[in-house]
Amino acid sequence: MSEKLCLKIGSEVAELAHITAAIESLAEREEWPPDLVFKVNLVLEELTLNTMTHGSHKGLGEIEIRVDSAAEALTIEIMDNGRPFDPLTDAPTPDVDGALGERSVGGLGIHLVREMMDEMRYRREEGRNCLTLVTRRTG
Amino acid sequence: MAVNSERQNGTLIARVDGRVDGSNAREFQTALESSIDSGDRIVVLDLEQLSYISSAGLRVILMVAKTLQRQGAKFAVCSLSTSIREVFEISGFDRIISVNASQEEAISAFKDS
Repeated sequence: MSEKLCLKIGSEVAELAHITAAIESLAEREEWPPDLVFKVNLVLEELTLNTMTHGSHKGLGEIEIRVDSAAEALTIEIMDNGRPFDPLTDAPTPDVDGALGERSVGGLGIHLVREMMDEMRYRREEGRNCLTLVTRRTG
Repeated sequence: MAVNSERQNGTLIARVDGRVDGSNAREFQTALESSIDSGDRIVVLDLEQLSYISSAGLRVILMVAKTLQRQGAKFAVCSLSTSIREVFEISGFDRIISVNASQEEAISAFKDS
């Protein structure tokens, strides 16, 4: 059980459907449990939509996604040539403890990613954001 | 994605079916808001048939919860899958929105309060 997926998508929200289809197909071949499929779809959606909406500029090209599905861990790499953005440090932590009336309705996406992944590494390389995420497969 | 609703003894039950992501969250918001009447006093959102939700959909649920609080209505969600329950917990939604195992539990929790 080890397979690699490489996917290049454009910078339109409609591209989400391509990510979902590619992940569903890989998950079926690799027999991922439902919670892993959910988690990978969520992480890829939050990060790519963030790039499309906040990191975009006229020259934003393709977003490259690689997923390495191994027995012990799943590694995701996301690369884009958008504005420099390190989700580990450049996204404010949302208030998740306040009362209902005080909660802001935004900023949850990157928080979900940070909480759901076991490892997260960022580097800016040759004008591109390169993000590596790891989720260990336990139990 | 579809939202179907019905009223039972003064409680609005809204069921969401399918996936809610960044590409259809606006439709989800329109569908959910249009199913709620300003006179509703108890609203239960049943998530049993919801297979996926991202922050775009969570944002809609939070906005609806805020609106209902302002109109003095009670709001609960029920029948969350393990993954959806996890995103609710990470987002801190379980501390501001009543999360229940079933519709019956949600309704009886309100009647007891």
